[in-house]
Amino acid sequence: MGLREVLTPFTVWKRVFDEPVTIKDPIGRPGADRYRGFHQNDMDKCIGCGTCETICQNAAIDMVPIEGVEPEKGDSGLRPQIDYGRCCWCALCVDVCMTGSLTMSNEYTWVDTDPDKFRFIPGIDGDWKDDVAGYEREGQRVLSGVERIHMEEMEPEARICNFDEIVAGYTREEAVLEADRCVECGLCVATCPAHMSIPDYIAAVRDQDYDRGLQLLYETNPFSEVCGRVCTHKCESSCAALHEGDPIAIRWLKRHIIDEVPFDRRIELIGQPVEPNGRKVAIIGAGPAGLTAAFDLARAGTSVVVYEALEHAGGMMRYGIPEYRLPYDALDRDIGVIQAMGVEIKTSCRVGRDVMMEDLQRENDAVVLAIGLHMGRSTRVPGTDGPGVEKAVDLLRRITDGEEVPVPEQLVVIGGGNVAMDIARSMARLQKAKYGEVGITLTALEDIDHFLADPEEVVESREEGVEIFDARGPQEVMRDASGAVTGLRTWRVKSIFDAEGRFAPAYDESDERVHAGTMVIEAIGQAADTSLLGEALTEALEWNRGRIRIDDAFRTSEPWLFAAGDAVKGPDVITAVADGHRVARTVMEEFSARQVMQ
Amino acid sequence: MRDIHARLKQRHHLGQFERQRPGLAFFTVPREYLRGLLLDLRDKEGFSHLVLLTAVDWMEEGLFQLTYMLNNRAEDVTFGIRVMLDRDEAEGDSIHDLWPTAETYQRELKEMFGINFPGSPRIDDEFILEGWTDLPPYRRDFDSLAYSQQTYAERPGRVTHDPREHMKQKLYPDGV
Ligand SMILES: Cc1cc2nc3c(=O)[nH]c(=O)nc-3n(C[C@H](O)[C@H](O)[C@H](O)COP(=O)(O)OP(=O)(O)OC[C@H]3O[C@@H](n4cnc5c(N)ncnc54)[C@H](O)[C@@H]3O)c2cc1C
Ligand code: SF4
Ligand code: SF4
Ligand code: SF4
Repeated sequence: MGLREVLTPFTVWKRVFDEPVTIKDPIGRPGADRYRGFHQNDMDKCIGCGTCETICQNAAIDMVPIEGVEPEKGDSGLRPQIDYGRCCWCALCVDVCMTGSLTMSNEYTWVDTDPDKFRFIPGIDGDWKDDVAGYEREGQRVLSGVERIHMEEMEPEARICNFDEIVAGYTREEAVLEADRCVECGLCVATCPAHMSIPDYIAAVRDQDYDRGLQLLYETNPFSEVCGRVCTHKCESSCAALHEGDPIAIRWLKRHIIDEVPFDRRIELIGQPVEPNGRKVAIIGAGPAGLTAAFDLARAGTSVVVYEALEHAGGMMRYGIPEYRLPYDALDRDIGVIQAMGVEIKTSCRVGRDVMMEDLQRENDAVVLAIGLHMGRSTRVPGTDGPGVEKAVDLLRRITDGEEVPVPEQLVVIGGGNVAMDIARSMARLQKAKYGEVGITLTALEDIDHFLADPEEVVESREEGVEIFDARGPQEVMRDASGAVTGLRTWRVKSIFDAEGRFAPAYDESDERVHAGTMVIEAIGQAADTSLLGEALTEALEWNRGRIRIDDAFRTSEPWLFAAGDAVKGPDVITAVADGHRVARTVMEEFSARQVMQ
Repeated sequence: MRDIHARLKQRHHLGQFERQRPGLAFFTVPREYLRGLLLDLRDKEGFSHLVLLTAVDWMEEGLFQLTYMLNNRAEDVTFGIRVMLDRDEAEGDSIHDLWPTAETYQRELKEMFGINFPGSPRIDDEFILEGWTDLPPYRRDFDSLAYSQQTYAERPGRVTHDPREHMKQKLYPDGV
């Protein structure tokens, strides 16, 4: 009890002999229709974001676990419990509720001698649980912004003839407005594979403290330039704001922070690695998985060399993702910070050819395999062997390398995922430059509502002149007498999976089409090239459906070898980053364990 | 209503006419012209009823806004008259002699916003708060949450959970 509580009543004592104005048993007069009485909560609709608790000026609300409600994507599993010893019936909690689940009945009388009874969980307790009358917030939520702040993007006509970055990035003013919409509930954190401190860095934007923002980003992700641009942003699909408006533009706010902090300042803020610990680790593959592991290990004082087969570091971030989505200089800055931590990257050095696995095993305390998926898969329909049929990832790599790639006037892409969109849109740009026109047909097994590619990718591809034929299954690459490709023959897809859920497309053979084109590009998936392992190691390792088997901590069955990234898990950059952290942690734990044994 | 505004504009230095809906319009008037304007409205224009007097705290601008709602019953039209006061000085001019009910509103504003109306009867008497010692509670720099936490005891046994931490414990206790 506070001093005030003891004293305040004295001023009321002058009324001690007055006739009481309260009565023991209320007369049972119903409240008005919109009276603010005891709360109600739709338990299925509530997501346990705790915004009601945050806004309550009387600290009347606790968020509590509920039997039978488990946390899941976008729902903490907690529900508000209200202490009516404190509630003043202001309804701020109802007005702010992110889902509209919280309302009030018009019930206001309740007699009980046990004070603890007046602390209860609306939606579970209370006779008025399902009453219709009472207070609800009307119309659109007004306490926090409903619409996402618009992101400036290049118009189709301006972007189709070049590889310039399409998305402009927020200005400071725009970023603050967008950051202001976040209620800092943290529901999104569980969904992010790297569990980035999303609400904290968004708060840093709001406070205009970019140094703090940058430090927060680097706690969980050394690829924020990359992820701020091309992350699959699954976090946004569990944002509390999406129930009554647009989810917060988490990805763009991350990009905004990194855009605001100059390169040298980043290195200053992160600080230098700790003292060398005398351990050596070799990492194979300079993609996000390998480089994140390298970053963590180097900061912990381990000496790290990354072996990279291609001419530049970055993996699929450089050789897959096109420049108009991720400019190379942005990627280079992320990699530059990692190198500044003392990580050595040996490029144009293919393990299995320029250096052997046995050498790496012998010369290092641990080896991490992060080789990604670089071999394009083929549909293997008749006609795929021979010139004129290409794999999307091969072409994308050649475009990045600045090689001359064949650019026909009309071509066909097979595939409905993001890789298919990337190659279609890249080729569209090259066609536009060469012929002034785009001639691309894209066919996919899925119908348009079930495309694997992001909806924006589909929209933007179409804007750029890519013609999409959905639910078409490739049957044959057509060739003329000389063997030159003339087009792709397809049937309409009736279903893709069989009753057991196995991949087994069924076709309507009467619905046949030939899509004309002098090149066919297959973009239906990639596989890992594990030839670097050599026969003996391949034999020794345990496998799981064509992938190297790893445990939860990313150990392979060989005690010196660890594996991470697309080659063993996937599917995106942020998952590779999360893997990179985890594998680095395992390697360091392994070192400590060995130390104890010695 | 526009015509009334136009008629009085010059003499009382009225601000822009802002129509809210049929029969309701707002405008601002400098403090020193308020009294003359109210007299004209009451005695010459038929606005005999003071509907309410209330205030808004424009903390960032360093201002309090007083809003006088005046109604002409015969015509069923209402003017909202705004007067901006210096927030630090927090003093308005009493109109209890024009409308006796103003006394009550002014007492309320004194208690809830700390806006003084010198000369207003019983202005320093407690209104609804008893034994209040803190900042006037309708001032925006009054921290309601901190006040209620200091002032009212918590029933024992209350525990809350942070959504983000709870999800971590349940879904990825290992941090990955
Ligand atoms: C076209 C395309 C677009 C994509 N778009 C997105 C996107 O928008 N957002 C997103 O999040 N993800 C996207 N991805 C997926 C993302 O790029 C990958 O998930 C991620 O790069 C995987 O990281 P990783 O480190 O496991 O492998 P990679 O990035 O593939 O890196 C592996 C590295 O290992 C090297 N390597 C392989 N074998 C050897 C060897 N024997 N010796 C030495 N080095 C070797 C490779 O050259 C490569 O540099 C896209 C992928 C593609 C193909
Ligand atoms: S604000 Fe609404 S959705 Fe969020 S926890 Fe409270 S009642 Fe549930
Ligand atoms: S009605 Fe007001 S005081 Fe009561 S729980 Fe909701 S926000 Fe808190
Ligand atoms: S981004 Fe969305 S889910 Fe994440 S903390 Fe902000 S409001 Fe909550």
